[in-house]
Amino acid sequence: MAGFFAWRGRHLPPPVVALLMAPFFMLIVFAFLYPILSLLSLSVTEPQPGLGNYAKIVENPLYATVLMRTLWIAVVVTVCSLLLAFPLAMAMAQARGAMALLLTACVLLPFWSSVLVRTAAWSVLLQRNGIVNGLLQWVGLTSEPVRLLYTEGAVVIAMTHVLMPFMVLPIYGALRNIPPDYGRAAAICGAGPIRRFFEVTFPLALPGVMGGAILVFLTALGYFITPALLGSPKEQMIATLISQQLREFLDWPFAAALVGVLTVFVTAITLAFSKVFRFDRMMGGQL
Amino acid sequence: MIAEAASPARTSDSATGARVSIRGLGKSYGSVTAVTDVSMDIESGEFVALLGPSGSGKTTVLMMLAGFELPTGGEILIDGRDCTRLPPQKRDIGMVFQHYSLFPHMNVRDNVAFPLKMRGIGAAERRRRADAALEVVRLGGYGDRSPKQLSGGQQQRVALARAIVYEPKLLLMDEPLSALDKNLREEMQLEIKRLHSELGITIVFVTHDQGEALTMADRVAVLRDGKIQQLSPSRELYERPANLFAASFVGEMNLIPGQWDGATITLASGDSLVPPPQAFPQPVAPGAALLAFRPERLALAPAGTPGALPATVREVVYAGADTLIIAAMPDGTEIRARVPSAGSRDIAGGTAIALVCPPDAMLVYAGGAA
Repeated sequence: MAGFFAWRGRHLPPPVVALLMAPFFMLIVFAFLYPILSLLSLSVTEPQPGLGNYAKIVENPLYATVLMRTLWIAVVVTVCSLLLAFPLAMAMAQARGAMALLLTACVLLPFWSSVLVRTAAWSVLLQRNGIVNGLLQWVGLTSEPVRLLYTEGAVVIAMTHVLMPFMVLPIYGALRNIPPDYGRAAAICGAGPIRRFFEVTFPLALPGVMGGAILVFLTALGYFITPALLGSPKEQMIATLISQQLREFLDWPFAAALVGVLTVFVTAITLAFSKVFRFDRMMGGQL
Repeated sequence: MIAEAASPARTSDSATGARVSIRGLGKSYGSVTAVTDVSMDIESGEFVALLGPSGSGKTTVLMMLAGFELPTGGEILIDGRDCTRLPPQKRDIGMVFQHYSLFPHMNVRDNVAFPLKMRGIGAAERRRRADAALEVVRLGGYGDRSPKQLSGGQQQRVALARAIVYEPKLLLMDEPLSALDKNLREEMQLEIKRLHSELGITIVFVTHDQGEALTMADRVAVLRDGKIQQLSPSRELYERPANLFAASFVGEMNLIPGQWDGATITLASGDSLVPPPQAFPQPVAPGAALLAFRPERLALAPAGTPGALPATVREVVYAGADTLIIAAMPDGTEIRARVPSAGSRDIAGGTAIALVCPPDAMLVYAGGAA
């Protein structure tokens, strides 16, 4: 991670910078800005000009519920990812040689298979006669199969699994950037392992935590496949709702309005984050 | 009979520095040995430098003193307490690191107060003592700044304040000045010396800079390949190095090969010298030997002076206060002399000179080439 950002600090002439960034900006403009702006314009022009579509969202409490649920699941997934990712990132940052390679491979390996495959795997594991239910009964926690699939728990577990690498990598980067002398300095000052963690390691890893949290949280907000496959209509998230409007009801203007609401939320949250934590510090993990 | 309240016996002496006793300390990583059988006793309030080239084990010894590395042999006693396996946070030692290691997410005062916070001292008392420690290192009023806003020298003084704020009896320093430029380094050397005499604290200081070791320390331990080569007061180390390694590592030294017959040493150039008995830090058997003397102990004399070593000047290097004369003896052996610049104006390459080596400057070591 650190090596990737080692480019910073080297100054390139502005035309070269512009040239290097051109492909990215073209992609952003044609594949992101243009479609989303035309979609958003649809939401205020069809069927009649005005905010009718947005009024519809406000009038029906279902949409607010779905939006709140989406935010809730995204928060839960972010917190679960953080709790699982931090110890792993610490182990990775401390590991050397073959162990470091193995851990990195374990984190990156899931990227080699598609999200669909990983989600399908969870539906196999969590089904009525699946391994998890079998285990629960064998241990004696339940006497008969429990409903695991099509629950909020299933959605959260699978999304956490899929999104966790995005949390691990920035935290790992931040931890790797902490010079080992900081821990030693804290120790010789009288701090035991727990206080070293809370007084030094965690505060210094915070930029990585924030970077990972925003990646996971924003991705989770717009997540589609996992809630669609592992959740029931009760676990419907906003992305599934939008897709439903598009594909089943062919109500493009209303779907566009939902996209508009989601966009406003994502933008607001992103701005709030970047107000507190400067973005440029997040990925490099430097304070 | 009058019952008298037993007055507690004063067992501890009034000195504030710790006594450190290192016995047979060893450290190996697998098959690689970093430190072998290092033993030394450091008196209360003493300033000891560990000097050696990189890989000599000096830093490993310090890491074991601090508790960051566990020895694979031997023991470390601090004020009589066995600290060999004690974790660093329980040793009550102050330490200054090479790269300052100030916590970047805390301001200067919180950095200095950190050891006090770890010892459960209240916020007001912490603040008072941290500010007092900053006064001691002449950084009063810098408490609210971020470490990044300070220069390297100021950061190292903050690190020093953090290391002494809880009044430890032992202070470890791991090449604390190597990241500073020359002027700042000399200023900090004096600053640390001043603190040492003010606080009476025991200091163990690691450096690869022999000038720094000689300037600052009461005693210097020269290490090589994980072993102590010599442990002696600075003056003795410089003037009477115990062996060839110490002689060639500390300061400049002429090492002229010759033959020792038990009474005189005959150099390849044919010159014979009679070293006094004190020229032998270790007994030297007759045979191949090396005559050693410091360049600044040589005196310049006109060519042909009896008893002096004849030589031809090759190069003259002016260095301000003194001038280095690199000359060749008749057989081609290089000999260096450092003479005051004031009297060496007319020396140039090719000049025939003679160099007088006073007997008390001579040292003889066994062996061939250095």
